Amino acid sequence: MHLLEVENLNKRFGGLTAIKDLNFNVEEGEILGLIGPNGAGKTTLFNLISGFLKPDSGKIKFKGEDITGNEPYKIVNKGIARTFQVVRPFRHLPVIANVLVALKSARGSKKIEWVKTPEAKALGLLEDVGLSDMMLESAGILPHGDLKRLEIARALATEPELILLDEPFAGLNPIETELLTKSINSMHLDGHTMVIVEHKLYALMKLAKRVIVLHFGEKIAEGTPEEIAKNKKVIEVYMGRAK
Amino acid sequence: MATTYLRRAYSSFAVHILDIPPRLLAFLMFLLVLSLPVTKPTEHILLLLIQASIMAIFACSWDLLVGRTGQISLGHALFFGLGAYITALLWFHYDLPVWVTIPISVLIVTGLAPLIGFPCLRVKGPYLALVSMALPIIVVSLISYFRDYTQGERGIAGLPGFFPSLPYGQRFVAEYFLTLFLLLVSSVILYRIANSRTGIVFVSILDDELASKACGINITKYKLMAFTISGLFAALAGAVSAHLLASGRSVTTASLDANLSFMVVIVAIFGGIGTMYGPIIAAYILQLIDQYVLVKIWNVPSEYHMLLFIIVIIILVLKWPRGVAKFVTDELDDLQEEREIEERGKHIWKRYRRKKRSPTPEA
Repeated sequence: MHLLEVENLNKRFGGLTAIKDLNFNVEEGEILGLIGPNGAGKTTLFNLISGFLKPDSGKIKFKGEDITGNEPYKIVNKGIARTFQVVRPFRHLPVIANVLVALKSARGSKKIEWVKTPEAKALGLLEDVGLSDMMLESAGILPHGDLKRLEIARALATEPELILLDEPFAGLNPIETELLTKSINSMHLDGHTMVIVEHKLYALMKLAKRVIVLHFGEKIAEGTPEEIAKNKKVIEVYMGRAK
Repeated sequence: MATTYLRRAYSSFAVHILDIPPRLLAFLMFLLVLSLPVTKPTEHILLLLIQASIMAIFACSWDLLVGRTGQISLGHALFFGLGAYITALLWFHYDLPVWVTIPISVLIVTGLAPLIGFPCLRVKGPYLALVSMALPIIVVSLISYFRDYTQGERGIAGLPGFFPSLPYGQRFVAEYFLTLFLLLVSSVILYRIANSRTGIVFVSILDDELASKACGINITKYKLMAFTISGLFAALAGAVSAHLLASGRSVTTASLDANLSFMVVIVAIFGGIGTMYGPIIAAYILQLIDQYVLVKIWNVPSEYHMLLFIIVIIILVLKWPRGVAKFVTDELDDLQEEREIEERGKHIWKRYRRKKRSPTPEA
């Protein structure tokens, strides 16, 4: 059984077709890359899976269960967490409280017996992403790279089985990219399944074993990073037609 | 010269105040207000303080909903008025004693709050504010429609007081302590809720609803929770105030009035939204300005009273946009920082002097 199945998914905004007859599966334990030019429908796809948008038709199944059109918080509590392309921290709250919010969710609070308090667990999660030093700082003053990692800590707090990372490397400098790659790798070793949308192909190709290419809401290619890099259609989409 | 010394004295005083833990400070302030009747104040002052305590409970409840959860309510008098009316009706029709009617009334309003909140929280921001403003108006028109049962615009007068056995003069003192006790209990409970893990979720809804959803939070549930808790304490304030000698032991539709709804907004904004303790301080300050400074000291004629009061509030809000409480804490932080910089400056200056005195190798 596949962890996530997307069947004949369609979504349009007025006259614009954002997702058109999309089919793909995510296997347990893999890192799936999702690329495509701007406006290809990658973020829309994430919004559909995580319940922030309702599809016009088609089905999304998680572990065999139909989750199409469920409320976002229900989907999180089933085990799909997401991060946002533009960081959305709780700016008035301290860093550790940002994680505590996620630990207050039905799923995050359920799996907590083995640590004494949610605070202890939050601290552990912050240590994993390297933010434990500034746990009492207000999240509003953190630099962008730290906020990206805070988003990941927050997503991990809900004990997800599938994590959707929306452009985790956007706006990061090389050192921050390195740090984040490390934490994503360690998350992968911990057994988290991930779907990553990314424009920075170099960073993505190091992580993903399988890549799907979207163009105007349609899947135009699928395969290993090497295959994708050689695919004529993909090169055409990114570079334009060769003369 | 004198000003420098004054400034230094003030700054060291402020820094020492800052060193006192907030809990102790709150306790000291509480002792101060507790010992106030020892000075034998006039009835007018007691009355004013009793009303301020009621307003403080009411403003605190508003602050939990708006300051922490961000659900703007401009009709919070709804809960206040419902609490007051239900206790009055229970007495009027069933002749129950005060100690029974108030808890029942608070319980009924607490039960109603989620029902009221559910349609309210379907809308957001300005629309929510509009809907919440409309609700007390609906209740007022219902009250006039069922005038046989509710006495309509005449209201219900002659409610039983809290301390019928005490002589008249001492009742005010007793009521003062009663309201103070209620204020203490409810503000401690509200403060603890606001700073609990649930309170953190409330703030996350204020900050970013979408991100809160993405954290797996059922935001409707938490909004309703905030609505209900807030309604409970507002109803408590309303129900208690209906029986107070200080408020004439009567209930009219004025308890559902927009004036009251706006007053609570003014109090909370003036005190500092989201601080939970700001509104308490503000309730006392504004009550003093409104009923004492303007009336007794400046002898403002009643027709200009409201006008002057509004002008005073506008000036205060312009001067301290983040509220009195935030202004004071910010000022203290600044002083602390200034002092640290001054210390560091002295240190550098000493090093500089030493360097200058010692012969340099070049020379």
